[in-house]
Amino acid sequence: MQPFVLKHAIPAERSPASVPYAYNAALQLNVLSDGRPAIADRAVLLATGTTTSTAGSKTHFDD
Amino acid sequence: MTVLILTCHQDVTADLVVAELRELGVPLVRFDPADLPDRAALSTEYDRGDFTGYLSTGGRLVSIHGLRSIWVRRPGRPAAHAANASEWLTAECGQALYGMLYATTARWMNHPGAAEPARHKPFQLRVAQRSGFAVPSTLVTTYPRAAHDFAVRCADIVVKSASGPPSVDPPVSLPTTRIGPDTDFSDVAAGATLLQRYVPKRADIRLICVGQEVFAARKTAAAGQVDGRFGCHGHRWEAVEAPAGILHSVHTYMALTGLAYGAFDFAEDADGVWWFLECNQGGQFGFVELETGQPIAAAIASWLAAPHTVRPPHGASPVDGPEDRPAVGRPHLRREQPH
Repeated sequence: MQPFVLKHAIPAERSPASVPYAYNAALQLNVLSDGRPAIADRAVLLATGTTTSTAGSKTHFDD
Repeated sequence: MTVLILTCHQDVTADLVVAELRELGVPLVRFDPADLPDRAALSTEYDRGDFTGYLSTGGRLVSIHGLRSIWVRRPGRPAAHAANASEWLTAECGQALYGMLYATTARWMNHPGAAEPARHKPFQLRVAQRSGFAVPSTLVTTYPRAAHDFAVRCADIVVKSASGPPSVDPPVSLPTTRIGPDTDFSDVAAGATLLQRYVPKRADIRLICVGQEVFAARKTAAAGQVDGRFGCHGHRWEAVEAPAGILHSVHTYMALTGLAYGAFDFAEDADGVWWFLECNQGGQFGFVELETGQPIAAAIASWLAAPHTVRPPHGASPVDGPEDRPAVGRPHLRREQPH
């Protein structure tokens, strides 16, 4: 017997293996490969889905 | 005075607030507890009746007495990145870090003591009732018979997880799912189950509350869409004005929970009623800001940057607290004074 709610589980969309930015400790911001802050590129943020309500990690379910 | 942001490196939503704090000229330190103790350090000393300490990461050093505010965004588990990571090491480093921070006079968004109960959906529903929101009939139970009777009584219900999907491989999602009254509920005995009357909705609402500021956004629901996070059909989030009654309830909810930040989700029905679904104390705002242009990150930065207030002991009201002053100098969709 499995918990009732798990009968309604569906495969999760895989998160992108990598994002086109990396954390820069000096700036305390994520930056793109061309050195611009990631937040300067709205299209990148929307495309990678990193600010959406389903972007939570395993430790942060309350998105 | 410095703003401390507890979050993981890849959190670009936090970047939005970092940029706003820079605009305000407010010093900040971004600290991931997961970096302890290999890539981040701390020290606290209690001696001769005094208490001193500091945090260090990325070449930055901040005294705990120099903390203006603490934003708990998406912190990693303490010591999760350590070469010798373990549950014990996480507990030890968590004690050291949060014990130190609890002892400061900094303002929190949100204080973990407020955030912990606020994460629980059943608690949220009761606070929502007390706050005056419309709350769909809900049952949380391990009794199959109770689940069956509830389904018959409501005729049309949904099931949702209280805590989110399990950590399994391959990963799964648990979208809110509509079920009928003739469902076999025997498996309800295998785990607590949250059932709720289905609200036919014409739109999803996400409302972000930052201190006293409120930003509401609306997205038209697709026909038959149950969970707004899934099955989108091209509709976009648009800024919307929250009704006065909702604003009153939001501020009541925030006062009852002690939260400084909350992301409320509502289902708007055909009559325009906003039905309370949940309030995520750490809920995302980035997608709302990106689509609507509402200055939510700026509001968070302003809250965090407000002048430091020393909290008097024994629960007395802070003197000259930033909550007592209206936010000024920045456009926003709605702001409501506390009731």
